[in-house]
Amino acid sequence: MTSAEVIDKVLANIDKVMIGKRDIAELSVTALLAGGHVLLEDVPGVGKTMMVKALAKSIGASFKRIQFTPDLLPSDVLGVSIYNPKEMEFEFRPGPIVGNIVLADEINRTSPKTQAALLESMEESSVTVDGETIRIPQPFFVMATQNPIEYEGTYPLPEAQLDRFLFKLKMGYPKRGEEIEVLSRAEKSVPIDHLETVLTIQELTELQQAVKEVNVDHTIKTYIVDCASETRNNPHVYLGVSPRGSLALMKSCQAYALIKGRTYVTPDDVKYLAPFVFDHRMILRSEAKYEGITANEIVERILMRVSVPIDRVGSK
Amino acid sequence: MKEGRTDMRFLILMYALAFVLLWEWLLPVIELTDTEYIAVFLYFIAISFLFGLLKMRWWLSVPLKLIYLFWSLHYVFFESVMLSRETVSLLTQDLLSNIGIIAAWNWEGITNPFRTVLFFVLLWMTIYLIRHWIEVRKSILLFYAMTVIFIAVLDTFSSYSAEGAIFRIMVSGLLLIGLLTISRISDRHGRKMGTGMFATFSLPLLFAVICSSAFASFMPDRGPVWADPVPFLKSVVQGEGIGSGNFVSKSGYDTDDSKLGGAFSQDNTVVFSATVPKKQYWKIETKNTYTSKGWEQLSSETLPVNIVPGSLLAFDGADSLPEGTGSLHAEINMKEQLPYLVYPYGTSKIHTRTDVVLQNREETGQFWVMKDGEETELDSFGIDIVEQKYSLTALRETSMDDYALESVDFTEFLQLPEQLPDRVRELALDITGKEESVYEKAKSIERYFARNGFMYDQQNVAVPKGNEDYVDQFLFDTKRGYCDNFSTSMVVMLRASDIPARWVKGFAPGEGKTNSRGKMEYTVTNNEAHSWVEAYIPGFGWMPFEPTIGFSNTTGIEYDLETDMSDPEAPEMEEREKPEVDRAETPAKKEEDSGFIAFFSKTDKFLRENAWIGIIGIAVLLVIAWNVYKHRGKWIPKLLINTYRKKKTDWDMYTKQYKSLLKQLDRFGFKRTDSMTLSEYAKTVDRHFGGRRMRMLTEAYERGLYGGYTNHGDWAGLQEIWEDLINRASC
Repeated sequence: MTSAEVIDKVLANIDKVMIGKRDIAELSVTALLAGGHVLLEDVPGVGKTMMVKALAKSIGASFKRIQFTPDLLPSDVLGVSIYNPKEMEFEFRPGPIVGNIVLADEINRTSPKTQAALLESMEESSVTVDGETIRIPQPFFVMATQNPIEYEGTYPLPEAQLDRFLFKLKMGYPKRGEEIEVLSRAEKSVPIDHLETVLTIQELTELQQAVKEVNVDHTIKTYIVDCASETRNNPHVYLGVSPRGSLALMKSCQAYALIKGRTYVTPDDVKYLAPFVFDHRMILRSEAKYEGITANEIVERILMRVSVPIDRVGSK
Repeated sequence: MKEGRTDMRFLILMYALAFVLLWEWLLPVIELTDTEYIAVFLYFIAISFLFGLLKMRWWLSVPLKLIYLFWSLHYVFFESVMLSRETVSLLTQDLLSNIGIIAAWNWEGITNPFRTVLFFVLLWMTIYLIRHWIEVRKSILLFYAMTVIFIAVLDTFSSYSAEGAIFRIMVSGLLLIGLLTISRISDRHGRKMGTGMFATFSLPLLFAVICSSAFASFMPDRGPVWADPVPFLKSVVQGEGIGSGNFVSKSGYDTDDSKLGGAFSQDNTVVFSATVPKKQYWKIETKNTYTSKGWEQLSSETLPVNIVPGSLLAFDGADSLPEGTGSLHAEINMKEQLPYLVYPYGTSKIHTRTDVVLQNREETGQFWVMKDGEETELDSFGIDIVEQKYSLTALRETSMDDYALESVDFTEFLQLPEQLPDRVRELALDITGKEESVYEKAKSIERYFARNGFMYDQQNVAVPKGNEDYVDQFLFDTKRGYCDNFSTSMVVMLRASDIPARWVKGFAPGEGKTNSRGKMEYTVTNNEAHSWVEAYIPGFGWMPFEPTIGFSNTTGIEYDLETDMSDPEAPEMEEREKPEVDRAETPAKKEEDSGFIAFFSKTDKFLRENAWIGIIGIAVLLVIAWNVYKHRGKWIPKLLINTYRKKKTDWDMYTKQYKSLLKQLDRFGFKRTDSMTLSEYAKTVDRHFGGRRMRMLTEAYERGLYGGYTNHGDWAGLQEIWEDLINRASC
């Protein structure tokens, strides 16, 4: 069974519970395979949690959920050392972050201190409490959500920290027919309960290895860098995409190519993924914001302008 | 575009080689047009390349070049005179006056300074083109090929000898092409070459070029396998046998000139060859009496003077023979036997075998070869020549009154037939009346023909009938003719202006070529049989004049005028460039020193006469070409399919096929913007044609391009799909 077929099984599995959200599922799997994390920005009730649960169940991984509240402390996320009178020593009790797939719900509701703890452990894939460092078991995939409509009592994530997330996605409402289908499926039972595991953690690790083998041609690298440097030169952009952003785009392209059953990246992959990777890594100028220009529009414009390489380097 | 500019040292090398090639272009131009200032042009080329190397901005380099151009003009045309306000304004005025001349389409009227400017502009453009070829296109093959063709044509059809030039062009051109190829290869791989790498590539090239050219130059030369095609080509071009049919005689030397006129055909029989460093007019005899129909020698015979071969000659009046500065030696080899000698102007000694005596008949200037009182012939003889120099200043001071001081009796040289129409005399006085000096009067007649629409023609030449006068007919009715018409008319008009003149017969200089000993050898055929004019200039004696259009007088006039620049069209410039002017405006020639130019002028004449046909032809060709171009979408696919069917199928070929398909689809109407990926494009194409052919082709192309899977693939299957699609896309 090829990698693409294996992944297709996972996606089909998710499809059983998430109707009409194939693209989001694909992107989530892409992030998972690329070893990145996803920030879902959407209103409550569109199925963010369901998506993550379905993904976790499909791959037989442990699933943890952290509901962020203003009074949540870093130790509530990372874990805490507790004195064990029997053993006469401190014992580390890992927090909810130590899991394979973690849903960090409403991340902008908690204090920056707690946010920082989460983001740091995402970046390092490890937890440090009382000088003791504990590696978080792989695969480790965080899907954070934030609610974009409520501002009172929230602590928006600093833009500079947003690039800890590989993608920023929007879920969106289902279409009319899709929503009816959601209702029909949930009429008698909860679909997620019947979901089977189709991928072992071992297989997932192998897939993550396979991603690294996907070929990225020199022309594609040039194209990625051209796109990234365009964001830096754009007059509407205050801070463009960093080299880390270019790297993230390349890695996600590799994963996406694997999902599409290819062993090489094409410019189409780059064009498709660039908005998800770049949008949250740019800081726009205030003037642009007043004019109502969004980061997504700028990325789209850049993609319309940068020429796609269709030749070998140097030959005309 | 994003590749770095070419390495500096590399560019210097390239420019140096291109400089050599351009030099080879200049050399023959300079030699054939008698332009003396090659250094001025070479400096200009060097400066242009230098500015290119320094990457000078245009606003700096263009003014600098213009300043240099102006300075060169000043240097060429005023020479030693310092740059002053007057000279600058004179030059400027002269250049500005050309605007009017050009506006009037009077191309012959362009002054020499302006000609030089045009030449500079041509050089400038050429250099620009070469820089583009070297720096941007990195391919010089076209220019190289043109250089070789240019030099080869000149070598074949003109007196220019390109033996050394071909060698130099070969070496520098091959090096240039090779080095540019290396540079192209390094570009293709998208990286700059280090010095070591470059040396590794270029040394074998250098070695190969130098070894092969050295080997070639030391190899013995083989004689030509084919007979020289030039005479044949010339005779074809000059249309032998297409003449009017009546009065056709063969060209050549004929002692009977009592009936002139009528057409004649070519005769390429070689009469003699002469090894001499400079072009010479070969004189045989003069005639003194014009009969309205031709020439006769009617004066009382004087006693012939016997001359011992090798002794110093004193004919023509030793006192009037101008002082010579340089002396030359000519070796003449007769191919046809003539009982009299051909000799150049300034002949001072004649060397023959010792058993003959030369008899000089003073009244005709002929040298008869006598042995034991009988006429005989010589196979070869040598002549010492004292190059004649006439001071232009002194010539311009000659006056008609000076004839009274001469002791010679001029009656026979002022003879004119009684029935000569008055309008001939009137015309002569009209032409010469404005001039003061004898020399200028003669010159004005000499110039008259070229400036008044006379045509050189060997075919349509009339013969005077009844009471018609040969000169009158030519001057006022036909205005077409060859040397006899021009020279006779000039003699008659000179005589009508009271200037003693006589008619000279002999041979034009012939075609020069470097012989095996490296000396100039002129071959004189019957086609070179010629007639010209001698006028007696008081204080100087008999001076030759050349009225015939297309021929140039080689008399050594020394331009020793005080630099009087009140007239921008000073005569010295005019004199210096005169031969060139003649060439440019002469529609046709009989015997020309350079066959190439004769060929050229024939073509020119043909084009002029058939201008309408030419214009219509060009228009038709343009329309056809435009249609072919416009409908290229239809025939290019067929061509491509045929081409690629024959080739083996692999990734490289597939790339080319795919690219050509993209171009064809573009012509068909599917425009792909730069930011469109190939698969996006393929989708729009497939949406139009149905199926998924383009997507299949694109997938295969992307697999190779982005995935590197270039080794295996179903190329044959793809070729079928490709053929199918490109056929559908063929408009």
